[in-house]
Amino acid sequence: MNALLKIAGALALAVGLAVPALAQTTLVAPGQNTSGTYMDYMKTVYARATYAEVLQIPLTSFDKDFTLTALGAESWDQSEDGLTWTFHLRPGLVWSDGEKLTAEDYVFALQRAATTGYDFNWYWDFAGGIKNWKEVTEGKADVSTLGLKVVDDLTIEVTTGAPKPYLPSVVSLWYPVPKHQFDKYGDDWATNIDTVISSGPYLLDSWEKSNNSVVLVKNPTYTGPWQSEVDRIEIDPTLGAPEVGLPAFLAGDADYSFLNTGQVPVATQRYPDGIRKNAVFAVSYISFDLNSAPFNDVNVRKAFYYAVNRDELTSTVLKDIAIPAGSILAPGYPGYNAEIAAEAVFDPAKAKQFMADAGFPDGKGFPEIEIWYRDEGGYNGAIVPPMAQYLQSQFKDILGITMNIKVLPTKDWMDGLLNKKNNIFIAPYEYDYLDPSNFFGIFYNGGRHDHHVPAYDKLVAEADSNPVWEERLKLYAQAEQVLIDNASIVPLVHPITIAVLSDQLGGDASTPNKQGFTPLDRLAHYFFTHLTKK
Amino acid sequence: MIMFILRRLISIAVTFIVVSIIIFMMMHAIPGGPFDGNDMPLSDAVRAKLMARLGLDQPLHVQYLNYMWGVLHFDFGVPYQSPGDTIIGLLSRAWVPSLVLGGAGVLIGAPLGVLLGMAAALNRNTWIDYLASTFATLGLTIPVFVISLMLILVFAVWLNWLPASGWGKPERWILPIIAYAAIPLATYARYTRSAMLDTLNRPFVTVLRAKGLSERRIIFQHVLRNSAIPLVTVFLPMFIGTATGSIFVEAMFRVPGLGAYFVSSIEKRDYPLEMALMLMITMMYCLAYLFSDIVYALLNPRIRAGGKP
Repeated sequence: MNALLKIAGALALAVGLAVPALAQTTLVAPGQNTSGTYMDYMKTVYARATYAEVLQIPLTSFDKDFTLTALGAESWDQSEDGLTWTFHLRPGLVWSDGEKLTAEDYVFALQRAATTGYDFNWYWDFAGGIKNWKEVTEGKADVSTLGLKVVDDLTIEVTTGAPKPYLPSVVSLWYPVPKHQFDKYGDDWATNIDTVISSGPYLLDSWEKSNNSVVLVKNPTYTGPWQSEVDRIEIDPTLGAPEVGLPAFLAGDADYSFLNTGQVPVATQRYPDGIRKNAVFAVSYISFDLNSAPFNDVNVRKAFYYAVNRDELTSTVLKDIAIPAGSILAPGYPGYNAEIAAEAVFDPAKAKQFMADAGFPDGKGFPEIEIWYRDEGGYNGAIVPPMAQYLQSQFKDILGITMNIKVLPTKDWMDGLLNKKNNIFIAPYEYDYLDPSNFFGIFYNGGRHDHHVPAYDKLVAEADSNPVWEERLKLYAQAEQVLIDNASIVPLVHPITIAVLSDQLGGDASTPNKQGFTPLDRLAHYFFTHLTKK
Repeated sequence: MIMFILRRLISIAVTFIVVSIIIFMMMHAIPGGPFDGNDMPLSDAVRAKLMARLGLDQPLHVQYLNYMWGVLHFDFGVPYQSPGDTIIGLLSRAWVPSLVLGGAGVLIGAPLGVLLGMAAALNRNTWIDYLASTFATLGLTIPVFVISLMLILVFAVWLNWLPASGWGKPERWILPIIAYAAIPLATYARYTRSAMLDTLNRPFVTVLRAKGLSERRIIFQHVLRNSAIPLVTVFLPMFIGTATGSIFVEAMFRVPGLGAYFVSSIEKRDYPLEMALMLMITMMYCLAYLFSDIVYALLNPRIRAGGKP
């Protein structure tokens, strides 16, 4: 009897130990940037640590069908004049150290951003349009004049300078900062694993700074929507390069990997059910300096516009990694206008005629030019270099011109674009928030190109503040037509990313959306909370 | 010898200062700064605020002197890409994987290379020589990232014997160590073969043979010792080059080492880290060559620094 009891006890203990071990699921995922500074999206966006945003709960977010979903905010109202928004926070949310998450944590995040040099400041000025944002960031007004107010622990009031009907989308990038933690440690709260705390579905378990890899674990104190469905996530940015990611995936060291062009056929043959495509909401386009010769002549710019054979480009050198772009907006992005996109046709005869009209028949007398693109990884790294060579050859054949290519580090390229150190660039841009104003804003009132076309600026300003969605779309379409008629840019391609997923993965985030695309980690909050692993 | 070492130490100090000035000027001459290059540019006000916070609003010579004053006190500053850390803390942490893997690669690759080179030299113009030379040539000519990829495909994907990549468990170290060992092995095989052939043709070897010394004694006691000088010349610089990390090996095997910082510090205009890395490498090479010179003298009494053979 005693022996039986011992055996039964041992069995019970073994089962007790084995069950939690079996239930533990770990997802191994590629990350994006191999270096990161602060584990705080509201301190820095461009140099943030891996998926800092997943640790915190934004006011809103998007699911895989790009439907706006309430997260930190339970609901919101807009005042009659359209200038004031009231966000009602979800009750019961806490920080992982047990402190209550309050409206003050959200408001403090933006107040600090406005006063301490946030690299994403432009977003809250031009996308958010928060009252006095620019004045405060430039030190011309006190932070107390910002259009932000804590009404009570669960209510935030936001006042904008002009009506911003899409503000609920914009606040999908508004994350809280734990003010009580900041008061103790300053900005360093987000540099030390012992002081980083979470308000979202995951906790930071480890952070290897030399390659920015992190391990996240389920946050037991999180009570909001979109709970994690795996216990642990190991995110390693060095797996982000397909050359490293795919071998690791094949060896079972990663649960999914992005693919480069050469890897697509192999992976498709081996894992036909695991292939996922995503139309990134991004565009690559040619940008000109509109004020200097020869691109100060609209005929020259139009010649370039009609000399690009986008179908051939995307079915040959960019096969499987890009689709033709006739618009700055990608198909499926709110405000995408198929009619405007259809205007971007390949018409060599028209292109030659425009060159002749500009005084350069068959390219005679046209100066030698140099197109600049930036050296980078990711999908742009796969797309832009071969595209530049394709364009070089096509412009030679059709326009009779010599276009040299120069690749520059990102900082030098941006310096050249902003300070007009060259007159033609290949420029990529990926969306920051889901509203047409995002893409139209990059050309608005200077934007990132020093682009000043009054008719365009007027239409975009009107569209941005119009509360009626259909009217806004009409205004944006008119603005885009101005951009096209002026040939301010030449849209080239929209990138496509392809990934291969392990058959161990499941959940809503692993299956395509209504348009047949799987956004994967482009929608990090949704992705990492709607993925399961066997 | 003491005077020689003192003279060399003074020249190292001068080299260190000259290199620091050149590096400092070069890194500030590259366009763009630590806060440029985002998809949307920073406003002037925000940029000014950030630059002031890092002391980058001061004149260049002031920035240089401030930095070097810190260096004198072993304070290399705070890396822009890892605030909350110190450069010494960051480097000492990131250096461990590079030192372990790269160091093991050299310590394994170099002796194997010596053996391979000896086998080739002692069996000149035989299939052993041809095989060893082919092996050494391949090791030097195939890029290390291709070797890394082949190792992953064969041992991790096809045979499934070892993990493909990662850091932590010792079984994850095996493939990167092999990748790191390829270049020392190939280099040493070639140097050893050529140095040994040169020594074997010298008259003293004939004399030793005529005296009736065993072939083993001639090779190990006399030929190898006389062939060691070029090997000593190569060893320390190679050790430094390998044990400070390779961006390719570390990227392919996902090793959180030092290699990536050499690129990211330049790319991100992380001036303090860039300076620290360059000064560290400069100092290590200077000391390595000093040490090599001392070892020459110990190996070969005819060599006297500054003296006559």
